[in-house]
Amino acid sequence: MSEPMPMPMSMRLPAQPGEVIDREERFSFSWNGRSYPAYSGDTIASALAANGVRIFSRSFKYHRPRGLLTASHLDPGCTIQVGEEPNVRGAHRLASPGLDVRSQNTWPSLRYDVKSVNRLAGRFLSAGFYYKTFIKPRRLWPAYEKVLQRFVHGGVIPDRPEEHDAEARFYDKRYAHPDVLVAGGGPAGMAAACAAAEAGARVLLVEEEHRPGGHLRWGDAADLTLLAELRERVSAAGVEVMCDAVVLGRYDDNWVAVVERSPAGPAFERLVKARAETLVVAAGQIERPYVFAGNDLPGVMLSTAVRRLVNLYAVRPGERAVVLTANGSGDAAAADLSRVGVDVAAVVDARHGEDVVRADGRGGVRWVELGDGRRVDCDLLVTATGWTATTALLNMAGNRPVYRPEAARFVPDLDTLPDTVVATGGVVGDGTREALCEHGTAVGEEAARRAAGAAEQSGEVPSRAWPGVKGAEGARAPSAPHPKRPDAEGLTPEPHPELIHGRTHGFVDLCEDVTSKDLLSAVEEGYDSAELAKRYTTATMGPTQGKLEILNVVGILAEATGRTIQEVGTTTWRPPYAPVTLGALAGRRLEPVRHSPMQRWHEEHGAVPLVAGAWIRPDHYGDPGAEAANVRENVGIIDVTPIGKLDLQGPDVAKLLNLLYVNKWSKLEVGRVRYGVMCAEDGVVLDDGVTGRLGEDHYLMSTTSSGAAAVWEWVELWLQTEHPDWRVHVTPVTTAYASINVAGPKSRELMERVTTGVDLSPDAFPYMRVRRGSIAGVDDCVIWRIGFTGELSYEIHVPSAYGLHVWASLLAHGEDLGVAPFGIEAQRILRLEKGHLIVGQDTDGITQGYSADLDWAIKLDKPDFVGRPELAWQRQRGDHPRLVGLLPLDADTVPPEGCQLVEGAEIVGRITSSRRSPTLGRAICLGQVAAHLAEPGTEVTVRLPDGRLTGARVAEQLASVDPEGARLRV
Amino acid sequence: MGSSRSRFSAYSLVRQGVSGRPWPRMWRRHELESSYDAVVVGGGLHGLATAYYLAAEQGWSRIAVLERSYLGGGGSGRNTAIIRSNYLTPDGVRFYDHSLRLYADLSAALNFNVMFSQRGHLTLAHTDASLRTMRWRAEVNKIEGVDSEVIGPDRVKELAPSLDTSDRVRYPILGALYHPPGGIVRHDAAVWGYARAADAHGVHLHQETEVVGIETSGGRVTGVRTNRGLISTPVVANCTAGWATTIADMVDLPMPIQTFPLQAAVTEPVRPFLHTVVVSGSLHVYVSQTDRGELVFGASVDPFASYSTRGSLEFVEGLATHVLELMPSLDRLRLLRQWAGLCDMTPDFAPIIGRTPVEGFFVDVGWGTYGFKAGPAAGQALAECIAGRKVPALIEAFALERFETGKLVGEKGAAAVGH
Amino acid sequence: MLLLECPWCGGRNASEFAYAGEPMPRPDPESAGPAEWRGYLYLRANRCGWTRERWYHRAGCRRFFEIERNTQTHELRPVGGGAGGPDE
Repeated sequence: MSEPMPMPMSMRLPAQPGEVIDREERFSFSWNGRSYPAYSGDTIASALAANGVRIFSRSFKYHRPRGLLTASHLDPGCTIQVGEEPNVRGAHRLASPGLDVRSQNTWPSLRYDVKSVNRLAGRFLSAGFYYKTFIKPRRLWPAYEKVLQRFVHGGVIPDRPEEHDAEARFYDKRYAHPDVLVAGGGPAGMAAACAAAEAGARVLLVEEEHRPGGHLRWGDAADLTLLAELRERVSAAGVEVMCDAVVLGRYDDNWVAVVERSPAGPAFERLVKARAETLVVAAGQIERPYVFAGNDLPGVMLSTAVRRLVNLYAVRPGERAVVLTANGSGDAAAADLSRVGVDVAAVVDARHGEDVVRADGRGGVRWVELGDGRRVDCDLLVTATGWTATTALLNMAGNRPVYRPEAARFVPDLDTLPDTVVATGGVVGDGTREALCEHGTAVGEEAARRAAGAAEQSGEVPSRAWPGVKGAEGARAPSAPHPKRPDAEGLTPEPHPELIHGRTHGFVDLCEDVTSKDLLSAVEEGYDSAELAKRYTTATMGPTQGKLEILNVVGILAEATGRTIQEVGTTTWRPPYAPVTLGALAGRRLEPVRHSPMQRWHEEHGAVPLVAGAWIRPDHYGDPGAEAANVRENVGIIDVTPIGKLDLQGPDVAKLLNLLYVNKWSKLEVGRVRYGVMCAEDGVVLDDGVTGRLGEDHYLMSTTSSGAAAVWEWVELWLQTEHPDWRVHVTPVTTAYASINVAGPKSRELMERVTTGVDLSPDAFPYMRVRRGSIAGVDDCVIWRIGFTGELSYEIHVPSAYGLHVWASLLAHGEDLGVAPFGIEAQRILRLEKGHLIVGQDTDGITQGYSADLDWAIKLDKPDFVGRPELAWQRQRGDHPRLVGLLPLDADTVPPEGCQLVEGAEIVGRITSSRRSPTLGRAICLGQVAAHLAEPGTEVTVRLPDGRLTGARVAEQLASVDPEGARLRV
Repeated sequence: MGSSRSRFSAYSLVRQGVSGRPWPRMWRRHELESSYDAVVVGGGLHGLATAYYLAAEQGWSRIAVLERSYLGGGGSGRNTAIIRSNYLTPDGVRFYDHSLRLYADLSAALNFNVMFSQRGHLTLAHTDASLRTMRWRAEVNKIEGVDSEVIGPDRVKELAPSLDTSDRVRYPILGALYHPPGGIVRHDAAVWGYARAADAHGVHLHQETEVVGIETSGGRVTGVRTNRGLISTPVVANCTAGWATTIADMVDLPMPIQTFPLQAAVTEPVRPFLHTVVVSGSLHVYVSQTDRGELVFGASVDPFASYSTRGSLEFVEGLATHVLELMPSLDRLRLLRQWAGLCDMTPDFAPIIGRTPVEGFFVDVGWGTYGFKAGPAAGQALAECIAGRKVPALIEAFALERFETGKLVGEKGAAAVGH
Repeated sequence: MLLLECPWCGGRNASEFAYAGEPMPRPDPESAGPAEWRGYLYLRANRCGWTRERWYHRAGCRRFFEIERNTQTHELRPVGGGAGGPDE
């Protein structure tokens, strides 16, 4: 099954005036395993075409051979796999030495694709056929589905994340702040960019192709002369030009996304995010295919494709051509072909009612039937049947295009655009190259003027002086309407025959293999609005997203439904304008990590990390059970830096605490700390922590680690919106301090060895007190005597730069006391033994205060606090679930957290926390249980994950170790 | 339903292909009549399902569905088509499980292939807190008879080899909630299937018909004003999404709902490689690969309330970041299109369905991001509610009164659990 | 990306702010019944069009402020024409 080897570069023409290839630089690359020569500047497709390759892909549904149609990024027939990269636009991507290029989704080979039998079955595979079959029996659908999936029309992504080298695939982002951003570097866009820059504006010009110039690039000598002038002006004016870059979308307030597909530097692609004062849309026009039988055969090309191949790449598109033309581009293509020696067998002038009926041939065009019945042998059929204005960016800015039948295209309704968006060039209308430049210049000047006006209004300093801008010195009155749109005059759409389809049916959407017949049947079946028909047939859903085929789709739907094209309407263009890699959108992979100043020590000492939100902290150092036991027996230290800390100062702090906490704060004396719980206005438990009074008007509040940011905002919300008169100053100090909890019966002894300036004796510094002093020589440490673990313990907050020093000092001074670090897991064991709840674990999104065993803390006799009414009603109802201690009857079975309590088939609660207690040598739990089960001594049934049922008894209280708190108070 | 002439099957497909005759219309166009027994506002999945079940199961006739735009043009055509029933609360699990079962039989019931691909559904856990919530969900699911289990990273890797299950990533995968019956449906097909079946039962489908007012008298609904004229009717069902409060405002009924856009995006097709639905709550992303090879992505609702469906760049940037965190080898896959739909968010992430204080005004709203999964069960239950005297047990927990009595549904429980 | 005008900092990307929703006056907790209180908790106008809402400049000055925003077009304007900023 060998494929005939084409003659190397057999279709390459002699040097062309505007060619972009460098014949000095020749190299080879691989196409389906075979080596092909190319010149620098060639696209993959132009290089292959120069070597006589005509078939680049197989179509989606029918696996028909496809060749070049547009010879541009939009080409639906030239999507290929390049190395590990799928769906590469072969008619846009430049060839380079050694590339491994393959056709996609063909088996066994591009020329002999077995799935092309679908062509025979085509009449049964009408649009949406899959909705109508494979319905019964249900059990066979998965098998059918696998068959459907075989037809997936795409490349292959490497599915080996383990081998993925993030460094090798580098993507970047950049912010830009242009005064004027010009989307499209054709003559009008270049002229607009120059004019704006010459007026003093910072200008960014974005061009999708590899060089700016638009259609001038494949034009005649005068076009090339103008192109050279414009390029020189652009460069002299200091315009920043991005080529091989495309504007993906215009979002709110002129937030414009651009992707650079081949940026300078190491990045594979770069996303540029620009806040443009003025956006100039100069996106031009896209040539439309024509619908007729055989319109997808290799050898059927648009006039612009032919002009590109001949003039840019010096490639002969065929040997014998028929040209269907309705405009100057078709005439010029015919002239180009004649000039380079292609036999132009017939020029069919659609302006005079001439037409092409069908093209036919195996593997490519062999002959064409004309409207007058003639049959002409040829291998190239060129069509030039009209244009689509590239209005996508304008639509994203709120514009709804209107259909102009005399010009056979939708044009933007410029009056509906915001002042910050203007348009020029082909997207607005047609004109000579001079008219385009003139319009671009006027629009560019106005764009600069508007940008300057906006900058003045917002009080910004303009990026430069604005000497060249007429009228810029008189600042525009704020929000005064602009008298006239600069883009509305000068370019009008030229008359053009409305050519959508010929006498025969053909492909409307070549990406999706949708024919005009499919659209007609969709309408007949009732999918008679444009959106329904598109969704049903999948027309415009493929990689070109309708950019090529939208008017053909709309025209055919209009005919089928008896409406006008305007009534059917064009599509809603959504971003991105062009497909963009996930890599570019993601950019550098920057996921922030927070850790304490002691993290390096933890890592060096075998800490197993725990991901807790943004924080990474030690889960344990190898044996959490032993770590917990050491706290009960000797002394342990734990890094609790992530605990949220707010420094509160001012005379009204007590009022604030009284408002936000459910318990009372007005009588907290200086030097004391208190545990507090916050509820939201719906009574749901929000956060908890201890707050200490450091001075008359000075408090330090602690919050849960995960709640730190939210509580700060919560405090600010109440202060700023409900009580702006209260004098409280809030400073977040979570990371200003490193926090260490020193816990265990020997903690006082250890603390005494490192602390100066604080009397640590039980009488001088009892439980629930705060002192300030110096630890290991570090001044300004805050010491809380509290006990989350249930042991005598001191929580110390030291200026974070000294965290590691204090940590190391504690370890050094306590060696003989058996001091050892403990991690989160040991802390969880200890706090569970002590029955201290964790907000968010023992409570959930609807747990109100009285369901969290907080009856003792909630003070309904306070006149007001956040959530009070709901809590009062909750207590009144009394039917709420309650948090209780649960002791499994089988002391050796620890029911996993999340296990449900059941009564028959009914769920009556759940285990919220569970561990094996090293102190008691048995399983212990906390759980939320229905009200009627909350009495101590009640036996409940726990359903284990494997379905077994086991019993548990409701304990007297949450704490199962030292419920009286004797160990805390020593 | 319908005449045998219009039944779809492989045989009919071949016969039609040979004869070249056109297929019969999916649904007909009708003149707007001056009165109906029931008017359903919203021609999306919920409205069409309600009308279908009202006609097919409750035996009502003279039903109209009013759609402002085209059928399925709202949330029904903008969602990511994921079906699952592994919710947190027993009420939620029962409801969505019923819906899932209806989906499983829907192709046959409607004689239209909705392409329900029960490929399994993975909710990844990146923290021990989310692993704990997964366990909670799995246990509730099992008690309610729903196939759901917590699995470890090795099993996750087997099910979805493209996931990076190594520990070198920022948020390592610690496990997942695996829900084999979950999957994806072709969302448009579900809409069209219900529309066709409703039409076959005599329901009038009126597209491009906008409700501009609702007439009431003495606390009961009497009619609906539309851009095409007045309809008198004793029953109006508000089956809209995004616009639930706009319609409810017409009868002065305040609703605890805020409208947020929910964005989604789709990539170019690539050869099939992802055979389950993958969700990461911590990374706010869900991914599935369609039978066409495209990857469909969704995330959480936008950060602020809005009726705009324009979409944002921040959304796709965040999405891509999170997808690549999960599947780093997708970096050169290209995003093809992004879009947004409107979601009606309630305070407890549970819907509002059933009767209202305005007699004859029924609601099937507030589905948040779960509307598509709920369509069949919601339509069936609302139809029963409209036709019967009793509120079906399936939707009792989702009544509007709960926001006055304070008995909120705990579905938010999982979402609100901290890190 | 919405460009929000912070009364203290000027125009900044919306990603710097947290949306805090429509502000609701807090009923008197002493006298409010369940219906009134739950209206305060749960009911919002949710208007399609101009709406008054609260934002928090999280990555900036950390001030809450109110602004009017059109929920369909995302146009912005100061509350009642005043800046609501430092001058008030």
